[in-house]
Amino acid sequence: MEYDAVVVGGGPAGSVTARFAAESGVKVIILERRTEIGVPVLCGEGISQRVDKWNMLEGTRWIASKMDGAKIFSPDGTMVSLSKEMAGNETGYVVYRDIFDQELARRAARSGADIMLNTEVTGLIKTNGKITGIKARRFDEQFEINANIIVGADGVESKIGKWAGINTVLKPYDLETCAQYTLTNIDYNSNYCEFYIGKKLAPGGYIWIFPKGENTFNVGIGVLASLSDSSLPLKLLNKFISNHNELKNGKSIRLLAGAVPVAKPVETVRDNLLLVGDAARHADSITGGGLTTSLQGGKIAGETIGKAVESHRFDKETLSIYETKWKAVFGTKLIRDYIVKEIMLDFDDKTLNMLADSLKDYKFEEFSTLSLVKALVLKHPTLLMRLKPLLKLTDKSLKKA
Amino acid sequence: MVKPKIKINIKICLACGGCISICPQDALSMISSKAYLEDEKCINCGICIKTCPIGAIKEDKK
Ligand SMILES: Cc1cc2nc3c(=O)[nH]c(=O)nc-3n(C[C@H](O)[C@H](O)[C@H](O)COP(=O)(O)OP(=O)(O)OC[C@H]3O[C@@H](n4cnc5c(N)ncnc54)[C@H](O)[C@@H]3O)c2cc1C
Ligand code: SF4
Ligand code: SF4
Repeated sequence: MEYDAVVVGGGPAGSVTARFAAESGVKVIILERRTEIGVPVLCGEGISQRVDKWNMLEGTRWIASKMDGAKIFSPDGTMVSLSKEMAGNETGYVVYRDIFDQELARRAARSGADIMLNTEVTGLIKTNGKITGIKARRFDEQFEINANIIVGADGVESKIGKWAGINTVLKPYDLETCAQYTLTNIDYNSNYCEFYIGKKLAPGGYIWIFPKGENTFNVGIGVLASLSDSSLPLKLLNKFISNHNELKNGKSIRLLAGAVPVAKPVETVRDNLLLVGDAARHADSITGGGLTTSLQGGKIAGETIGKAVESHRFDKETLSIYETKWKAVFGTKLIRDYIVKEIMLDFDDKTLNMLADSLKDYKFEEFSTLSLVKALVLKHPTLLMRLKPLLKLTDKSLKKA
Repeated sequence: MVKPKIKINIKICLACGGCISICPQDALSMISSKAYLEDEKCINCGICIKTCPIGAIKEDKK
């Protein structure tokens, strides 16, 4: 089999890459190990409403509920609230990730991309040191596909980068190890997504409650692997739920284990190769969210592949347009939030309570981590000194606050 | 060859991929939706044991 480009992984990053490549006239195929796109769901399913502007998803079937805002609770229960009224009504959605992923795959297919399920990529083919295709297994059949470009969209456990010689191994302090229940039959009326932080509650991470509508909530936990221990996330999550007045009466309709990279992005381009989404370590280090960057990065990757195929050039230099562009769109945010993660890790529960207390009446202008980080720097410039240059805040603007 | 001291209980594994992403030796992969260990690559560092959110990897005490 011959293709211009092979995309390994049919998650959001892979489907969006394939769609935009196909729209630029590229002969492209998605290879996905699963037997159904998007299943099982391994996600908290929250996404910023900015997605509306990107023409990625049609209709509304993928939306479970629209958030009214976010509430963050410090260890002593102090609440910081970002509500839709303050944020100009733009907040976020809780999605059905299975339908969400299938919608993105449908768009890729409609644009001309091929999709092969139940297909595990097992290695790269190299000819004289050059990547020229992939080896795969489907049922009991082994086969090869030749292609000029291979895209690693193979998620957190990505092997494609490793096979190409890129060091994608995560350090324990760069991985959130997670567990989540979807609980239903809960008598709790809230359309806010809630975040609970604290060293004892969720070391190096947080517990989230995301409303899915119909008395159903995603309740999950992320613990930084360097601070975790065997089965600790699940134990802490069970404890949180059994201590929660409403959640403890819920019935679980889904349980998942998960892993989120909270790392600095890796090298994303080599000759004949691109990495996108979680495989490129594009998830946000504060929230662990990786959907928006998977969509944004996938689009840039697909368009770059289009240009490469048009000019018949597949070398690193040509493909580097992708890296330059994603860095311009969300590179600074990823680095900034990685530094915030590092700073926050040093804070004990007392400091977190103090920070929450200072923000409890703050009027946030936007529903984003940036507005939260800005507020923290404005209130506590010395504590978060390292962030000042990254936020382009001048001493004048700091004094004013 | 060092005898591997870790054991994956595939009855517990929920295929999150965390252990695979973190193994410094690339000794773990996902096969048929379960984590799979290549014994000869493992250096028994134990990082994967601590990383598994649901306790599917244990020390092999045998
Ligand atoms: C518990 C949890 C909660 C999260 N909550 C949120 C949230 O609320 N909001 C948010 O924005 N993000 C969240 N994330 C992160 C988000 O899920 C990821 O960033 C996102 O899925 C990345 O998309 P992707 O396409 O890069 O990878 P994935 O969605 O992981 O897709 C990778 C695909 O590649 C396939 N694959 C892997 N290896 C191979 C192979 N060798 N051959 C063939 N196929 C292969 C896999 O089967 C998979 O389908 C969460 C993650 C977890 C674990
Ligand atoms: S013990 Fe260390 S080397 Fe062995 S599989 Fe686990 S993480 Fe890899
Ligand atoms: S960390 Fe645990 S649940 Fe996740 S893949 Fe590894 S063994 Fe399975």
